[in-house]
Amino acid sequence: MTRFQDRTTAGALAQGKVKRRTILRGLAGGGIATVLGLKAPAVLANSRPFEGVTLQGACFQHVFHEHVKAYLPEFEEASGMKVQIDFQAFPVYNQRMDLELSTRGSSYDFINITFPYSGRWVGAGWLHPLDDFIADANITAEGWDADDFVSGTRAPFFNAEGQTCGFPWEAGAMMAGYARFDLMEAAGFGIPETLEEFEAMNRALHGKDGFAAYVNDKLHHWNFPPYLMNFGGGVFRGAPEDLMPILDTAEAAEAAHYYAALLSDYGARGVLSFTDDQALRMQLNGQANARTNAMAWVLPLTQSPDSKVRETTRYGMIPRGKAGSFPGSNANGYGIPAEARQKEAAWAFIQWATSKETFRKIALERGGLATPRRSIIDDPEYRQRLMINGQDVASIYLKVLEEAGEGGYMKYRTVPVFPQVGDKLNKAIERIASGQMSAADAMKAAQSEAIDDLRKAGIAL
Amino acid sequence: MGDTGRAAMAEGPRRTFASQQNRFFWTLLSPVLVVLGVVTLLPTLYLFITSFTPLSLATPGTAWNFSAPFSNYKLLLTDERLHNSLWVQAKLSLATVVLQLLLGLVIAILLNMRTPLMNALRTSFLIPMVLPPIVVAIIWKVLYSPDISPAWWLFDWLGWQGVSPITDANWALAAIIVADTWEWFPFTMLILLAALSQMPEEQREAARIDGATSWQVTLYITLPYLKGTLLVAGLFRLIDSIKTFPLIYILTDGGPGTVTEVSNYYIFSQSFNYSYIGYSSAVTMVLVLIVLVLSWAVIRTVSGKGHDHG
Repeated sequence: MTRFQDRTTAGALAQGKVKRRTILRGLAGGGIATVLGLKAPAVLANSRPFEGVTLQGACFQHVFHEHVKAYLPEFEEASGMKVQIDFQAFPVYNQRMDLELSTRGSSYDFINITFPYSGRWVGAGWLHPLDDFIADANITAEGWDADDFVSGTRAPFFNAEGQTCGFPWEAGAMMAGYARFDLMEAAGFGIPETLEEFEAMNRALHGKDGFAAYVNDKLHHWNFPPYLMNFGGGVFRGAPEDLMPILDTAEAAEAAHYYAALLSDYGARGVLSFTDDQALRMQLNGQANARTNAMAWVLPLTQSPDSKVRETTRYGMIPRGKAGSFPGSNANGYGIPAEARQKEAAWAFIQWATSKETFRKIALERGGLATPRRSIIDDPEYRQRLMINGQDVASIYLKVLEEAGEGGYMKYRTVPVFPQVGDKLNKAIERIASGQMSAADAMKAAQSEAIDDLRKAGIAL
Repeated sequence: MGDTGRAAMAEGPRRTFASQQNRFFWTLLSPVLVVLGVVTLLPTLYLFITSFTPLSLATPGTAWNFSAPFSNYKLLLTDERLHNSLWVQAKLSLATVVLQLLLGLVIAILLNMRTPLMNALRTSFLIPMVLPPIVVAIIWKVLYSPDISPAWWLFDWLGWQGVSPITDANWALAAIIVADTWEWFPFTMLILLAALSQMPEEQREAARIDGATSWQVTLYITLPYLKGTLLVAGLFRLIDSIKTFPLIYILTDGGPGTVTEVSNYYIFSQSFNYSYIGYSSAVTMVLVLIVLVLSWAVIRTVSGKGHDHG
C-alpha cells in the first residue's frame, strides 16, 4: 500500500478539508517543521496540514511516552491532528499487538515496536517500510537526519531486504542502579565490579527493617541474559543463523542459580510478580537498593521528583562474571502497521517524536536521557546532565551501547522465535526462585520446552 | 365410500395440520438455528479443521497445510506442559467447586433463616459475583501484593513476615482458589437459596415435633432435599471453572513456573503469544470434548431431576 491510498487523508481531500499539496508543503516546511526545530518558510509556519485527523497509536507503558505526552499538545497544535495513544503493560501490549499485526489489523496508525518482538514483526512483513517516506523531501523535513541515530539502535528495524521499518525512541543500555549507596558505603562497599562482590554486598545489606538488597521486575528474559552471558552461557548456539537453544549447559545452570538467588534470597517480598513500576517505586522510596535494568528504569532514581534517593543513588556497570561483561542493550521504536489507514499522518508523528529537537527537550528538560540520537549524546549539555552525584553516567551508557554494538551479543533477542524461548527463561527462573526445581533441572526443562516450541515454529534444529 | 377412503379423509386434514404446525415451528426456529450455526458451529468446525494444520500466523503457507494432519495431536500426547496444565485444572476445579458448594450451602441455609441481619446481608453476598471478573482479579492482586496490600501492612504491624502467596509455589494455586471461591460462591448460594425457598416446611416441622435437633433436620431433611440442586450447581460450576482466566492472567501469569497454568491459559499463550494457532486448536478440541462430556452430564442430571418431579 502506498501513501496515496491513505483513506482518511483521501477522505479529507475529497471533502475539501485539506489539499494534498498543502499537506506536503506543510510537512516540508510548515508548522510541524517548526516543532521539529527546523527552519520553515514563514508563510507556512502556521499551517495545520492534518486538521481533523485523529491518529491512533499503541505503546507499552514506559517513561519515555510520559515525556512524549507532555510535549504532544505542541505537535497537535502545529499539525492540526489529534493523537490518541493506548497504553498497556509490556507483556499485555506485546500479546495484543502481536495479535493485531498478525491478523493484519488496521486499528492503529502507529505502534511501538518492542525490541524482543522486532525480529518477528519486521521479519513477517507486518510493518510498512519507511524508506519512501524518508526519501520524499515533500513529507520528510530537511535536517531530520535518519543517519544521526546511533547505528546499532536502527539495526532491529531493518528487514531482510534492508528496508527501514521503524525508528528507535530509546537506546536502552543496561546498568546497575544503587538507590542506597549510603548504606553500601556504611557497610564498607563501593560499586561492585564482580558478581562475587555484588553478592557479598547484597548479603550484607538485605533484610534490615524489611529493606531489600535487590529488586527487579518479572521480565527475566530481559533481566537474566546478562548474568547468563557473564557466566559464559548463552541463549542460542549462534543467533541468528543457528537457533539451537543452549540453556542446559553448566554455565547456564550456574548463572540461573545465581540470578534466582538474587531474587529469592535478597529480593523484595513478592518480587517474582513485580512489574517495572513496582520495582522502580521500591527503589524510589528507598525500600530496595540494587536493580540491574535499562537506563530508562534506573535514571528516575535521580531524575524523578518523587525520588527519595536522589542524593544517595549511584550507578555502575552490571558486575562482570568469569566470562566477562555483557550488559544488555536494546532499542524500542515506532513503526507503522502495514494496514494502517493514515500512514502519512503517522509518519509525521514519528518524525516529530524522534526528531532531534524532541529528543533534546525530553533529555534536557525532563531527564529522558536514553536517547538514540548521536547528536544529542555528543551535546556537552547532555553530557553535563549525565554527570550525576559526581559520576559520569554518560560514559557508562556509551560503553554499554558500544560493547553491545561491537560484540553483537544481543542478536539472540531479535530473532523471530525469541519470545517463545524467552518465556522458557521466565518459567525457569520462577521455578528456581520459588524452590520448585534446582537450577540444573529447571534449565534442562527450559531447554527441552524451547526445542519443542521451536520445532512447532518450523525451525530445523 | 369404503373404509379405506374414510380413513384417508380422516388422516388427510390431520397430516395437513401436523405438517403446517411442523412448518410453523421450523419457520420460527430457523433464524435461531442459522445464527447458532454461524456463531457457534462454523467457528468450531474451523477450529476442528485448523487443528489438523500447523497454522502459525507468523509463518506464511501454514493455513491450509494438511501434509501432516495428526502431528498436533501426536504432539499433545507428549507435551508435558499441557499435561501439567490439565492436572492443575483438575486440582483447581475440584477445590473451587467443593469450596463454593460448601460455602454457598452454609450461607444459603443461614440466609434462609430470614432473620433481620441475614436479610440485610443477602444483597451484599452477591457483590463478588456481579463485579466484572477483571475487577475481582485486581482486588485480589492488591490484597496479595505485600508492597501495596493493606493486609500486609497489618501483618507487618503485628510483626508477621508473610510471603506473597502469588509468588510462592506452595500457595499460588491456593491463592487463586480463594479468590475464585470468593467470586463464585454467590452463584451456588443463590441456586440453593432458591431451592430452599421452595422446600415444603411440613417435613421439617414434623421432624422437630418428633424431637429432631436443628443439626439433624439439616442433615436428614434439608440436605437430601438439596441433593439434586447441589449436583446441578456443582456441575455448572465445574464447567465454568474450566474457563477460569482473568484471575490467573492478572494474579500469577500461570506461575510461579507453571503451578497455576491451567489448560485454557496454556492455550491462550500458545495461540496469542506465539501464534501456534494449529496446535492450540488441537488442544482446544480436547478441552471442547471435556466440556461436552460435562455438559452431557449436566443435561442428563437436569433431565433426571425433571423426571423425579414430574
